Amino acid sequence: MAKPFIVARDLSIIYNQGKANEFRALTGVNTDIFEGEYIILFGPSGCGKSTLMYSIQGSLPPGEGTLLVKGDDVYSYPPAERVYFQRHVMGIIFQSFNLIMSLSVLDNVALPMIFCNADRATRERRAQSLLDRFGVGHVSHKIPAMLSGGQQQRVSVARSMVNDPKILLADEPTGNLDSVSTQQVMDKIDEINTFDKRTIIMVSHNAAHLSYAHRVYYLKDGRVVREVVNPQRKQIKPVREGETIVTELEQLARLYPYDSVETWRVKSMVNFLTQNYSFDQIGRLEHAVDLFLQGRIDRSSFIKSLILPKERGGVEVLESEARRMADVIEKVTHTADDIRRFRARKDNDAIFFTQDKLAERMQEHMAQEHRIKMSKQQEANMTELIADRVTGVVAEAELNERLMQGVRSKGLGLNEAEADDMTRYFEKIIAQGVDVSYKG
Amino acid sequence: MRVQDLAQLSTRMFKTNPLRTWLTILGMGVGTAAVVILVGLGFGLQQIILEQIVFGDSLLSLGVSSTGAQGPSLTPEVVNQFRNNELVVDAAPLARFPALITYQGLTGNVFIQGVEPPYLRFAGVTATYGDVFKDEDIGDTSSVMLSPATLKLFGIADEDAEAFIGERVTFRLLVPADDGTENVNEILIDKEYIVRGITKEAGVLNAMMMLAELRNYVGIEEFERVQVNVIDNVSLPIVEEQLIAQGFRVTALSKTVEQASQIFQGIQAVLATFGGIALVVSAIGMFNTMTVTLLERTKEIGIMRTLGASPNDVKYLFVSESVVVGFLGGVTGIMMGVGFGMAINIFLNIVAGQFGGQSVSLFSFPLDFLAFIAIFSAGVGYLTGIFPARRASTLNPLDAIRYE
Repeated sequence: MAKPFIVARDLSIIYNQGKANEFRALTGVNTDIFEGEYIILFGPSGCGKSTLMYSIQGSLPPGEGTLLVKGDDVYSYPPAERVYFQRHVMGIIFQSFNLIMSLSVLDNVALPMIFCNADRATRERRAQSLLDRFGVGHVSHKIPAMLSGGQQQRVSVARSMVNDPKILLADEPTGNLDSVSTQQVMDKIDEINTFDKRTIIMVSHNAAHLSYAHRVYYLKDGRVVREVVNPQRKQIKPVREGETIVTELEQLARLYPYDSVETWRVKSMVNFLTQNYSFDQIGRLEHAVDLFLQGRIDRSSFIKSLILPKERGGVEVLESEARRMADVIEKVTHTADDIRRFRARKDNDAIFFTQDKLAERMQEHMAQEHRIKMSKQQEANMTELIADRVTGVVAEAELNERLMQGVRSKGLGLNEAEADDMTRYFEKIIAQGVDVSYKG
Repeated sequence: MRVQDLAQLSTRMFKTNPLRTWLTILGMGVGTAAVVILVGLGFGLQQIILEQIVFGDSLLSLGVSSTGAQGPSLTPEVVNQFRNNELVVDAAPLARFPALITYQGLTGNVFIQGVEPPYLRFAGVTATYGDVFKDEDIGDTSSVMLSPATLKLFGIADEDAEAFIGERVTFRLLVPADDGTENVNEILIDKEYIVRGITKEAGVLNAMMMLAELRNYVGIEEFERVQVNVIDNVSLPIVEEQLIAQGFRVTALSKTVEQASQIFQGIQAVLATFGGIALVVSAIGMFNTMTVTLLERTKEIGIMRTLGASPNDVKYLFVSESVVVGFLGGVTGIMMGVGFGMAINIFLNIVAGQFGGQSVSLFSFPLDFLAFIAIFSAGVGYLTGIFPARRASTLNPLDAIRYE
């Protein structure tokens, strides 16, 4: 069995030890990290994840317990040798890039080699080749301030690799980046792990990154509360059979990374009580509905993807059920279009339909859908009520109440079950039809 | 870290913060300039004085005279005895007689001094105008040198002293009678002497002629004074001791020079203290700047430390930065100080030229002094940098990197 590369045993880190403001940043942490692994330290701010990373980096001596990197206790070395270790074993990437603004991009990348007494030609060649590799070679003679955040972070990735370290540490490397740059940087780090076979230890609180890692350590209040194995990646850490099992909780951990184990258990149970579909099926159904709503697939492809068996990536529902779902979606979206038109009319003069006409059409759809025969007065009242709800004059609760009120007092006189049904259905339509994007 | 990289990294401040860097250098420069100017003034004054009294051989000479009636007298035999001393190169005697000098009918009292040319060298006698006696003039029988005060006897103003060269004067020697009485015999020298030079001796009425010429008119049994020239500096006190032991009075020009030098060293120390105060003020300013720079760059230090810079790398970086600033401050100060001193020198010389005075260099800047100042200011830079540098190197990299 391979030996772990980084071993922490009962590691505690205490700031201001012995003083009034003593603070335990880490308590009794045990981790085994293997060479070539991609590890994410995940948790809310203040959980100690950065503390653990910097302790591995060699800047925070453990208060209690031991920390071994490659079998050596680096904190037992004199400072000069610890520096050697930091130079040749560790590369580091920061959230705020931390490039030195008074040096060119090339010199920034070459800086760690300067401390190693490398001569100018060697280090510039190496730095330039790394910059080229990470797609920022063309800006090597600019100063960092002239680069975008994404470029700066890629420069800093290049810098972390310049001394060819065994371990790459990353402290929320995408925390300051937009989504496109985040993707680029994450891909580069992933490449360093999969292609260069470097060990990656990343601190993050972005759940979207968890799928990159082999394993995720969840930290909370200075303790490692969970270790979650990513079933999508081939594990490097040797796992003894039966030692860890992959459960639905792991799946929930990825869906709801900020919730506790207890919440996941509740979610698991409620899902079982209320739904006939597993979280997996729901996930796939969501994906299919998304495509259908956006109009990126047509009705038949939607139905096809729903009836496909699980093994082939489908939701695995009966064909009749799939058709029903498609019907509902089509009806709802159709009426939702009317709501969109109605609300648009608020600002524009009527061109094709008057608002009254739209409200009438919606009223007809609702009556038809719920198979309710209405008098002229009821129809008129309902049309008005729908117009009020769509314009936002009345809220959901009021809509429900008015549906139950007598016809004379502008209601429809429905019973409670009918009213609840209709309210729920109409709210679904509104949810589809109302444009919520910000227009400020 | 290699030296050239260190140099590159520690001169970044000229790019990143040029104004502050140059102002710091200027601050150091002004302080250094104050030292350079004031000490330069001290050197200048010293040189002006020493130029008047110091001449090669005269520094290795002892003036020997008789202590009076009880002591041994300076007979020609004694002089020969001096010459035979192995530590002595030569001994040159001076004989002196009172005399009357006559110029165009005006007569006054002077002392006639009979000397040989070496005496003039050993005693450091020089001419303001005209020529002194040289070694080949030993047989000269027709010329004399006069002290400036002698000209006053004839109502010659200082300005016209130069024109007196070439004038003719006559002498009458006053020689004590041999008969033991106080009587004085007057010996008329029946020829005219040409004035060949005016000496610099102030406050004495002297006329100087060759000893051989004087012997033509009077017998010399005893010399007034003998200049003994010794072989080197080390022998000077030894010979002095010997002569004093023999009962002579000995004065050394080198002693006078030494005393003068001591006085001027004192003056220089005072001047340097004032300049030093200015330098201390600017060094404190520089220290302040380096401390602020440290705070400003705390984050950068943290970054460098996490990237593998050792505490010593950080320390060297800071120290070399302040040494560079200090040294450049020194160089700037030297340029300012020397420029200022030279300007004053030129101005004074122009003024002196206008008023017909002698040109002098009030400020003097020996090269080794300037080199010392340059090194010294680099040293001040080192001292102002070492404390911030030490602090920088002991910063915890994590605290440093989070410092904003």
